[in-house]
Amino acid sequence: MSGMDIEAIKSQIDSESGGIDSARKLEDFRVRFLGRKGVLSQLTALIPALSPQERAIFGREANALKNRVLSIIEEKQKALAAGPARCRDNICDITMPGIAQELGRLHPITRITDEICSIFSRIGFSVVEGPEIETEYNNFTGLNIPLEHPSRDAFDTFYLKGEKGMLLRSHTSPVQIREMRSRKPPLAVVVPGRVYRPDATDASHSFMFHQIEGFMVDDHIRFSDLKGILEFFAKGVFGKDISMRFRPHFFPFTEPSAEVDISCIICKGKGCSVCGRKGWLEILGAGMIHPNVFRHVGYDPKKYSGFAFGMGVERIAMLKFGIDDIRLFFENDLRFLRQF
Amino acid sequence: MKVTYNWLREFVDIKIAPKALADKLTMAGLEVASIEQRSGDHIFEIEITSNRPDWLSIIGVAREVAAVTNKKLYAGRCQPRRGKKPHQPNPQRLDVKIGNKKDSPLYTAAVISGVKAGPSPEWLKNRLELMGCRSVNNIVDITNYVLFEIGEPLHAFDLDKLEGDTIFVRRARAGEKITTIDAQERALGTDILVIADSKKPVAVAGVMGGKDTEVTEGTRNILLEAAVFDPVVVRKGRRSLGVQSESSYRFERGVNPEDVETASLRAAEMIRQLCGGVCVLRKRAGAPLRNKKQISLELSGVNNALGIDIPAARVKRILSSLGFKINARSSGRFTVVIPHHRPDIRLQADLIEEIARVYGYENIPVSLAPARPAAEGAGFKEKVAFIKDILVGLGLNEVITYSLIDKKLLRYFGIQDTLEAIEVLNPLSSEQEILRPRLMPSLALCVARNLNRAREYINIFEVSKAFFRSEGSFKEETRLAVGLCGERSFLLESGLIKDPASPLHLKGILEVVFERMGIKEYAFCAQEGSSDISVSIRGETVGFITKAEKSALDNLDIKNKDLFALEVSLEKMISYADPERRYKRLPVYPGICRDISFILKKDIPAGGLLKAVEERGRPLLKEVKVSDCYQGKQIPQGFKGLTVSCFYRSDERTLTESEVSPVHSLICSLLKDEFGAQFR
Repeated sequence: MSGMDIEAIKSQIDSESGGIDSARKLEDFRVRFLGRKGVLSQLTALIPALSPQERAIFGREANALKNRVLSIIEEKQKALAAGPARCRDNICDITMPGIAQELGRLHPITRITDEICSIFSRIGFSVVEGPEIETEYNNFTGLNIPLEHPSRDAFDTFYLKGEKGMLLRSHTSPVQIREMRSRKPPLAVVVPGRVYRPDATDASHSFMFHQIEGFMVDDHIRFSDLKGILEFFAKGVFGKDISMRFRPHFFPFTEPSAEVDISCIICKGKGCSVCGRKGWLEILGAGMIHPNVFRHVGYDPKKYSGFAFGMGVERIAMLKFGIDDIRLFFENDLRFLRQF
Repeated sequence: MKVTYNWLREFVDIKIAPKALADKLTMAGLEVASIEQRSGDHIFEIEITSNRPDWLSIIGVAREVAAVTNKKLYAGRCQPRRGKKPHQPNPQRLDVKIGNKKDSPLYTAAVISGVKAGPSPEWLKNRLELMGCRSVNNIVDITNYVLFEIGEPLHAFDLDKLEGDTIFVRRARAGEKITTIDAQERALGTDILVIADSKKPVAVAGVMGGKDTEVTEGTRNILLEAAVFDPVVVRKGRRSLGVQSESSYRFERGVNPEDVETASLRAAEMIRQLCGGVCVLRKRAGAPLRNKKQISLELSGVNNALGIDIPAARVKRILSSLGFKINARSSGRFTVVIPHHRPDIRLQADLIEEIARVYGYENIPVSLAPARPAAEGAGFKEKVAFIKDILVGLGLNEVITYSLIDKKLLRYFGIQDTLEAIEVLNPLSSEQEILRPRLMPSLALCVARNLNRAREYINIFEVSKAFFRSEGSFKEETRLAVGLCGERSFLLESGLIKDPASPLHLKGILEVVFERMGIKEYAFCAQEGSSDISVSIRGETVGFITKAEKSALDNLDIKNKDLFALEVSLEKMISYADPERRYKRLPVYPGICRDISFILKKDIPAGGLLKAVEERGRPLLKEVKVSDCYQGKQIPQGFKGLTVSCFYRSDERTLTESEVSPVHSLICSLLKDEFGAQFR
């Protein structure tokens, strides 16, 4: 073994280290010199054949080579980490924007509506739609809402010119009347759609918004079933950790009636600005279908029972997405729409 | 409505803290919106549902508190004994005449003499102040106190300012006026019920008293009114005068006729104690109380409706705590006597709610009734959802715009069917004047708004109803509208490609939808003398593609941009959908493709040319399509360059050049002879 070999390896190391410009090349370099069958192990394999004096000198020189390689690797690693990654053979600059057909977006209201309807579909409900222009009968009378009654205030309504008693539905409940008149129980239906009320527009009011109505009619539907099905729904939308409460309320078309709250999804019931420090968020109204509604559609209230519920889709969407202004849904700013 | 914790405690022995009480009330249907601590008391703001006028009083809420906390209600504390008949030192003549018993089923008047009207004691002032009511003088304050406590509105007139000795409850006459205690002069109409003396109206019944006859510092003798007025009449009167009061609020929801006398006696007693007056005369006009309603109740009905198992004793205890009287008829069957303060209870279902409320909705178990669905195929809604997904896949963004629009928006777009549009009778603003007969103008508004926010390319769609009159009735139709504006940019490795929106993009979108829906035999036809392109399926027009007029865009402040839109009826379109797919055997033999490049007069449409080629090339020509087009320096003015690819194939054998060439020559001569094509 001569000093020439050491020198040759040294210049090999120096010349090859110059071309290292990627992690891949650095690794090749490391394997070539320090690998199990690398240049330096081949070199040390020669040691046993040497004389004791030669061994000492040779060993020192081999060690120096090894340190040289190690320090080059360390240096190159630092340099590579700082610099940009580049493909081998310059296939492309992967840091440039990707190329793809851009996807559109469904409106957040459509997304929430679909999500809610599909939860109910899973337990056998069918999805039905109805007209937005309605009769006074379907919107009020059939639903046991008397003409001259303060309860009508809550359902302030747009009327239409030209045909007396025609209006824009103020809720999706008229579809209950339509469905029950055209079909016989058992019924399990959800009804999404637009509704209209002459409310001045602000961050929480809109003269047009969306509701989802649902109802179920059969031989033995009980209030406990209403609780069970709404719990299935609410946990499906807001997660299984929420808690729920049913508070007595009044709706002309249900008896008993309830308002349904979920524990605040922001503060988990501790009280925050979203829930008005109550810890609860009201999400829907519900109840057992009033016997008078059954009479209006020609069902025998002694034979059938059922429940109905209704919710505002914007409200659910606002809670779920953390949106604080209802007007955003109808401004259709693409910067807003494309977030969903 | 407000109630205070201390006031409630005068009627129920409340052992729980205000917060706990509020929670109990909320869970019983009296939603406590807030609790405010003030002057050593707690004020609850309660949201009262419109079916419960009996809750518009301290005693009414106290009854509920007693029921939900299992305590006794001491209602007698505000019900003074009737006592002796009033003595009459100065016999006063007074008559009460009710014009129409429907307007006012019951009217009572008490004459109290020798009062000393003046400031109220502090405790009275404070309590009214907690209820949000300003102190006026002791007489007026007492009437308000009793209103809050019992829920029956009262009114005190200065007797000496009333003319004649008859009180009339009648409709106002045309031209009559009254200056109410808020110093407003109000013109009255015949739809308004008033209290009048022999000359003039002195109060708007159930709404507000008159200024001329109000009780003031010097008042010595008063007439105390306690009555029942028809809710509808009060509501109409209040609305037409544009005023609202604690009285009208209660009359509109309906007061309990039983409370009329109780309240009058209670107020008279307080006046005797605080103002020193003596009741010298009581007059009453109107109908006697109706008999109490009776409803039969079956225990099994309760338990079946709620899904629980409450014993009879519990049901009885709950109902009696709310003031109902229960008579057992047989095991599990009762007759329930409904007290006058619960006019909302009409059916067994109403009683079931009462039981459930007090039992606690939270104590009703949870069950899951199985739905028994009818088998259904994919309907209209599923197809619409499918179309929306396709559009999103094509990069379009869904918008939701208002169905109500401003008439002038249609005018901008020169839409002539304004007359067919359905008008809203009671819009809040011009932006809600009509139900839109077209979706496209609303999309244009969206485009304008997004351009304002410096967006380069706007590609949006909406699925919604259009509304119009047809054959004399209102119609609604579900439509799809798409709007495209600006240039789409594709950054490729070779550089930026700009793709300005055009009607062909809209056509392309529809073609994808048609193909996916299995719709065939459709056509896009330019309209004579119009910039619109009609879209038809099997000869039926289903919609149009249009380029918005510049004048319309100017009105919307869209500058230097073109807007292209399409609008189609989804009902019509989907009626042609054919979702069935049949597998076609893949070709066994390879085909041959030949391109022909030529220039052609610019005004010759490609569609007809392709059709002619297709016919000429049969049966070997399987497909022909435009594979390139160009205009530029090499092409003479008035011409365009096209490349057409022809694909020849046979199902029986591998085609040879010698078989294809003659057919291809036929096609070339067709192009040359019939379309004037010059080959390049």
